[in-house]
Amino acid sequence: MVDLLIIGAGPAGLAASIEAASRNLSVTIIDEFTTPGGRLLGQLHEEEKDVWWNGVEEAHTLHEKAQENGVELLLETSVYKIQQEDVYWSTHTSAGIYHSKALLIATGATEQSLPLPGWTLPGVMSIGAAQVMTNVRHVKPGEKGIIIGLNALSFAISRELRLCNIDLEGFFLPPDHFLTTDQAKPLSVLNNLMTLSHLAPMNWMRLGGKIANNNRWIQKQTLSFYPKRGINIWQTPVHVRKAVTSINGSTQVESVTVVDLRADGTMIEGSEENLEVDFVCISGGLAPLTELIGLTDLKLIAIESLGGYVPVHFEDMRTEVTDLYVAGNITGIESAKVARAQGVVAGISACIHSFNLRNDDALEIAMEKVRKERAEAKLQFHPEIEKGRTLLYSEKGEVQYG
Amino acid sequence: MNNFRITDHPILKIPSSRSVISFTFNGVNYNALDGDTIASALLVNGIRAIREHEESGQPRGLYCNIGHCFECRVTVNEREGQRSCITKVSNGMDVQSSKKLPTPFKKEEAQYG
Amino acid sequence: MTKDVIVCRCEGTTLEEIATIAAEYQCSAREVKLRTRAGMGYCGGRTCRGFIDYIVSHHSNHQELTLHHRPPVRPIPFALFREVNDE
Repeated sequence: MVDLLIIGAGPAGLAASIEAASRNLSVTIIDEFTTPGGRLLGQLHEEEKDVWWNGVEEAHTLHEKAQENGVELLLETSVYKIQQEDVYWSTHTSAGIYHSKALLIATGATEQSLPLPGWTLPGVMSIGAAQVMTNVRHVKPGEKGIIIGLNALSFAISRELRLCNIDLEGFFLPPDHFLTTDQAKPLSVLNNLMTLSHLAPMNWMRLGGKIANNNRWIQKQTLSFYPKRGINIWQTPVHVRKAVTSINGSTQVESVTVVDLRADGTMIEGSEENLEVDFVCISGGLAPLTELIGLTDLKLIAIESLGGYVPVHFEDMRTEVTDLYVAGNITGIESAKVARAQGVVAGISACIHSFNLRNDDALEIAMEKVRKERAEAKLQFHPEIEKGRTLLYSEKGEVQYG
Repeated sequence: MNNFRITDHPILKIPSSRSVISFTFNGVNYNALDGDTIASALLVNGIRAIREHEESGQPRGLYCNIGHCFECRVTVNEREGQRSCITKVSNGMDVQSSKKLPTPFKKEEAQYG
Repeated sequence: MTKDVIVCRCEGTTLEEIATIAAEYQCSAREVKLRTRAGMGYCGGRTCRGFIDYIVSHHSNHQELTLHHRPPVRPIPFALFREVNDE
């Protein structure tokens, strides 16, 4: 029996463990992966000129601090089931059953896919898979690849792949069908790219965003004059009017078929062309990984700006279920810095609400830090994150959850 | 072996002295470096098709690389259903990919007489 | 194209099959799952669950989410399964 069990050793889980353990709670973290850090491990962004956010080092720092505070870390261990007993939680894992007074679920996010013909071929992978392969395993996913899906995640990771000297044919749209909808239509993709205009390194978008700023006529003009060879982002051409219609190969990826699109998204007959690649990255964005929440009485609520269904929770990371806390991307898709700050809140909150620690101003300071990280985030996944958070935190108790 | 191994990087520190270990995949011997997962070791050895789909026999490989999708599952030292993307290679490890299974009750494939 | 788009990678169920069954039977995601085996393969719907919900909500009158999570949330060997359920 430990005081606090944390599922997920990402930025949120590790940060929470440090806060709780430094306040004398006994803490165990469980994670499936081989290395602590979660999604942090893949991240490598240049925040300002020559100033890099190095996720591997950030993870290492958090892990060391957790160790110094006596946190027990169980890696390569999968959780199958959680259940609240009378006064404790039992967590069933591949390494046995663990009991804890309080439970923090910090399972992060999972990648969304964009199904298309040929996507089961070996060599097709999620964009996050390619990121982990290069930045964690130090192995290239292939010689020459293509990225399907234009979004903040694929742009950020493309640069990481380029840092490893991987040849990228470009960013292309997925084929337009029922499950790809908004991510396949040139105009809606362009709209979405404009909302990312705050992303510092992308000068053309910043400019485009300033000019266009929700002016539909200008957006349509931009689309009409969009250069056929694409506009480069970190040396990789971005195509908003070309879609991949199939991935081809007998036993693994050999090529992709791409087609030109009109501004309205319809295909131009006869424009099909085959591009030789040996790997394909699919980038459909991230969504909170809530399967363990589904085993509790906690309700989920759909908030688009937070990435889909998120567990209903308070701003101090408590939930309506006694001794159950959530933190990090399971509460909404945001940067690792926000997740880490949320972890600090959750760790302190668990001490106060489950272990009667005196509520000094530490909790409020930690919550303020989350708001600050959110406001200053360099990588924002959705333009209306703050609105989503406000909806969730301000109307507590009044919202009707279906 | 291809040249997929990243040996230097402008920002990341790449460990230089990793020991060479060996493992078998479907009975064939391959080398890996200490710290490799089964999936990364297979990839540097030029192997993308990690298993066959049980029914169609289509090749499948790594998809999510963080243990979520189970597409890269293999049998490791006779334990089935191990995810090659989150299982580290160890010296002498025996890795087998799952193969197409018989479907005797499926109409179009049923054998009569 | 929809007949070439596999949605459930484990069972090889296509977008067309799922949409057709949902429209024909006007049924819930659970019933679609039972009729097509989409989401019932090895991984337990971890990649396609959201898609099935989405397709059904647009092709059938059933709007509520019926694909709940049940333990175990990952495939496990029988030995562990017994332990999980004995509690």
